[in-house]
Amino acid sequence: MFALYKKEIKSFFYSPFAYALSALFMLIFGFAFVNRIGSMSSSVLQFSFPDMFYNNFFYFIFIIPLLTMSSFAGERRDGTEVQLLTSPLTITQIVLAKFFAIVTVFLFMLLLSLFFPIYIATHGTVIWSSLICGYISFFLWGIVCIALGMLFSSMQSSPIIAAIIGEIVMEGFLFLDQFAATKMVESYPKLNSVVTWFSMQRRFLFFAQGMFRLEDLVFFLSLTVMVLFWIILHIEKRRWNHR
Amino acid sequence: MVEVKNLTKHYGRVTAVHDLSFEIRDNEILGFLGPNGAGKSTTMNIIAGFLPTSEGTVTVCGHDIKEDARAAKRCIGYLPEIPPLYPNMRVEEYLRYCAGIKGIRRGQVKSEVEKVMRRLKLIDMRCRLISNLSKGYKQRTGLAQAILGDPKLLILDEPTVGLDPSQVTELRDLIRELGKDHSVILSSHILSEISAVCNRVVIINKGELKAVDTIENLERRMSGSLTLILTVVGDRDAAYSVLEKIGGIEEIEDVMDMDDGTYVFRLKLKDEKVRQEIMTALVSKGINIAEMSMQKPDLEQVFLELTRKK
Repeated sequence: MFALYKKEIKSFFYSPFAYALSALFMLIFGFAFVNRIGSMSSSVLQFSFPDMFYNNFFYFIFIIPLLTMSSFAGERRDGTEVQLLTSPLTITQIVLAKFFAIVTVFLFMLLLSLFFPIYIATHGTVIWSSLICGYISFFLWGIVCIALGMLFSSMQSSPIIAAIIGEIVMEGFLFLDQFAATKMVESYPKLNSVVTWFSMQRRFLFFAQGMFRLEDLVFFLSLTVMVLFWIILHIEKRRWNHR
Repeated sequence: MVEVKNLTKHYGRVTAVHDLSFEIRDNEILGFLGPNGAGKSTTMNIIAGFLPTSEGTVTVCGHDIKEDARAAKRCIGYLPEIPPLYPNMRVEEYLRYCAGIKGIRRGQVKSEVEKVMRRLKLIDMRCRLISNLSKGYKQRTGLAQAILGDPKLLILDEPTVGLDPSQVTELRDLIRELGKDHSVILSSHILSEISAVCNRVVIINKGELKAVDTIENLERRMSGSLTLILTVVGDRDAAYSVLEKIGGIEEIEDVMDMDDGTYVFRLKLKDEKVRQEIMTALVSKGINIAEMSMQKPDLEQVFLELTRKK
């Protein structure tokens, strides 16, 4: 399992891929950062990073499917899927190795983004509690999206299509809040509560206010585990009606 | 070594493989023959554990491929039709990765990879990117991946496709050598390859088993109809009437008129003794025999015969 993890990591970092994506990520973050600074009055040298994370996520959503798109679809395209599935590795091990590899790249990006709070800290004050909460929520939301992206990749043999489907679905998740706020949904309280429960933005905002709720942690983690489990089932199912 | 029992595979409504049963013995090279679309790759994918069976069982080294997949897969080295290569990896790096996923112990990875590279003459290519390798070297790298860790069973799906003639001979020699201490299943639709390398063959057509036997036995089975090629010099009609009178000839086929008074016939004989009779009969009528040769049925004919029907 470690060998597969290592190979995945290498395929990201031995190619320009991880760096190009990280650069894009930093660019987006940088724009948001400059924007924030520009719109602040000069007397306040404190600002809320979670807000920035929140804004960033709309753009970040477009990066995650690019990370996950070739995880399974690429293997299928190159014919290497056969090798993985005929190796002594179990499907669970394969899925986990790939998942952790992508999470590692994601963590690498988050690490790069530390540049901004550190920069602020040298010139002003950073509210560390809300920053840490912001990072945790960003991370949790990120791993859910990674799992989802991998799921779509496992359903496709074309990485590009996997990425496009991933983006559409993730955008859908993002707008769940707006959907819940429509008059139509509001008129059905039960439906409204279900939709709101699935809304990741709402949970994200709790974190953003520096509030660490166990409920939200469980929500994100269980959703990730559920999607990963779905991937395993899906690959198993594909073997059965393979053509 | 491997036991395939009543193997059936459906793809939706299509039955790709129907009720296949055969076994692969220790240290034998088994040829797997069939026309395109006969179900060769499907069967191999099932034995390798990539596809599940619809019905029937496959046992590899005593482990059921369904129930005890991990143990069974450890005994298998598989080279699929398209070698499973990552174009952006280097040869040595790729083989190390393969050793890793095959569960070879870390201390042994280096020596194992070294051994396999030496065996397949990949040492000079170790630092090349796989995408820059020629087709022959890619195939070799694929084979290297399969024999890593010395699995007892090797499954090779059309390993010589796309290679040049000298590479084909080289690969054949290698397979023959591997067959000394491994069981090998080799699929192909190139008959000369199978007859050059394999001990026994399995012939399938449209997913159904047509024959499992040694090549000699299969050829013998066909020799119920002996064919004699006869070339005579002189009068064609006279020769024909002589031949017609001999009872041991089942069928006379006029093949060629060479324009210089030589004629070629193809005769189907009941048994080999008729040859003598033909010779004396022709000579007594003053017809000269330029050439007489038996045409032995080869694997090609067996194959065509078995796959033509239905």
